[in-house]
Amino acid sequence: MLEHMARLFGSQTSLRKANRETILEHIQHFGAMTQIELAESTGLSTATISTLVRQLVEENKLTTQNTVRNGRRAVLVTLVRQHGLSIGIHISRHDLLLTIIDASKEVVAEHNLPLAKNHKADTTIERAIVLVNETINNIGAEPSEILSIGLAVSAPVNNRTHTVSLPGVLPGWEGLDIASPLSNTFHVPVIVENDANAAAACENSIGAVQGKPDFVCVEAGEGTGAGIVINDALWHGVTGMAGEIGHIQVDPLGSICTCGNRGCLDTVVGEDRLISLLSVTHGNMTLTDLVSLANQGDPGCRKVISDAAVRIGNVCADLCISVDPEVIVLGVNSP
Amino acid sequence: MSVYNEVPLMSMHNVTVRFGFIEALKSVNFDIWPKEVVSIVGDNGAGKSTIIKLMAGLLQPSEGKLDFQGKPTCIHSIREANDLGIVSVFQGQEFCNNLDVSSNLFLGQELHDAHGMRDDMAMNTEARKILQEFDSPIRVGQPISSLSTGQQQTVALAKTMLNNPKLILLDEPTSSLSMMQTAEVLNYIKRLRSQTRSVVLVGHDLPDVFAVSDRIIVLRHGRIKGIHETNNTSYEEIIAEIAGVDGEISPCESEGRLQQYQNAVKRNRLIDRTKELQDLDDGSQ
Repeated sequence: MLEHMARLFGSQTSLRKANRETILEHIQHFGAMTQIELAESTGLSTATISTLVRQLVEENKLTTQNTVRNGRRAVLVTLVRQHGLSIGIHISRHDLLLTIIDASKEVVAEHNLPLAKNHKADTTIERAIVLVNETINNIGAEPSEILSIGLAVSAPVNNRTHTVSLPGVLPGWEGLDIASPLSNTFHVPVIVENDANAAAACENSIGAVQGKPDFVCVEAGEGTGAGIVINDALWHGVTGMAGEIGHIQVDPLGSICTCGNRGCLDTVVGEDRLISLLSVTHGNMTLTDLVSLANQGDPGCRKVISDAAVRIGNVCADLCISVDPEVIVLGVNSP
Repeated sequence: MSVYNEVPLMSMHNVTVRFGFIEALKSVNFDIWPKEVVSIVGDNGAGKSTIIKLMAGLLQPSEGKLDFQGKPTCIHSIREANDLGIVSVFQGQEFCNNLDVSSNLFLGQELHDAHGMRDDMAMNTEARKILQEFDSPIRVGQPISSLSTGQQQTVALAKTMLNNPKLILLDEPTSSLSMMQTAEVLNYIKRLRSQTRSVVLVGHDLPDVFAVSDRIIVLRHGRIKGIHETNNTSYEEIIAEIAGVDGEISPCESEGRLQQYQNAVKRNRLIDRTKELQDLDDGSQ
């Protein structure tokens, strides 16, 4: 309570606390930098910076080392990392997300690289490798600190061959060995997994459904998918297709899906379909535009989204009857 | 984002540009709509930069006319373009090397305080705010000469944010950047689009062009070879148009290929047969 009041009235203590947070944020965001750079970047005075950095070093949140900038001695400030980095890469239809965490599961760096629709597997994996290298460099780490890489793709993954098993969702990716380029570059184990399954595993270990052995995690966005957890273990199915609710038939007279079947859920609530519903009234737009317009209260966009939610809800209800989960976790995989 | 009753932000009608006897652009027609990212791609000397210079006010068309928001317009200088709401970032952006980052950002449009004095504090704060959006570790007090090429490019892009522009022209914005900075620039272009601004982007790197643009204009020898919706085209189609290949091999060439292929097959057969004979010889010995 006192702390809350202090923040309201801008006391010395709360100011210092806010400044500490700013410093930590800047170093997390921009990587290692010297105290002088930190002062210029945050706008705080050099005296404040050096006092706060000394405190944070004592609390073992930051570490300093002597270095040289522009021919002068300087103090380089870096975040204290628990030894060992893990890398998460999410490749969807439009984006490549990169997250690096340390051994204490703290996020060290995050980046988002926009990708072209129908991007090619070789180019994208190559770019991912370059991005990982640059980011590792930027936070002042060595590639040898990487422990493992998780690669989540917006497509069903066959967990025997570790490849994309269904053509269509990421065109041209099916059957390709996407783990080897990464494991050959960084010499660490690479796990390839469907993004909804990866989300389910995360929700189980650090997210919303810790300690619940049976649940379903539904991801809706560019496409729709679900990760099914039974008895604390992910259910993959024989070909990795388990939980691919985006390919459940909801309209027997509907249009043909990228998977080759007719009237799949993705043909009714997928990104392309939702946008084409609005093309006459709203022109050419993206899913992000649609969501932001709906948030602003545009009636057409709200209608499209609520209709889509009903269709996804119906399929989830069917899924509940066949799996009988304790909880359904709803995630959105749109940036 | 083209809804039918809208006026294009900028359109070119039969624009031709001549440098002496060379026609750099020949009868170019296109529209740029509000809230749209248009990429211009093409080979070296195809006229990409000439189009950008026309729109930025650095060049005048020899023939044809330019409309801005439906009205015929003559843009004679960068300053006139800025007043209309058009800002541009060129290849090899020049800075004042002796000044620091925030002075360069506000060069020619410095902020002043109540007494009419230059307000360095306000400029630094504003500059810091803009640079943070770019996820860049550039410091506002740093001399511009100490920045890398990529960081200078970031400052040049940051400069476009100052005057709330309608149309942003970018000439090869990602050509000298690292992947991390490229990601930031692409996100920046997407953000501009969601702020209902239009962007014209000249690019060499097709993955970047495809990632952010709504339409792609292919230029070849000063003529428009094709205008494509990004969603309905492919790398192969764009590359073929840039190179001027129509996807068919001329009959003469294909006959030559067939001949080569048949020769190769004959040669292989000959080698196989020789091997067989050798094997037979070896076997018999």
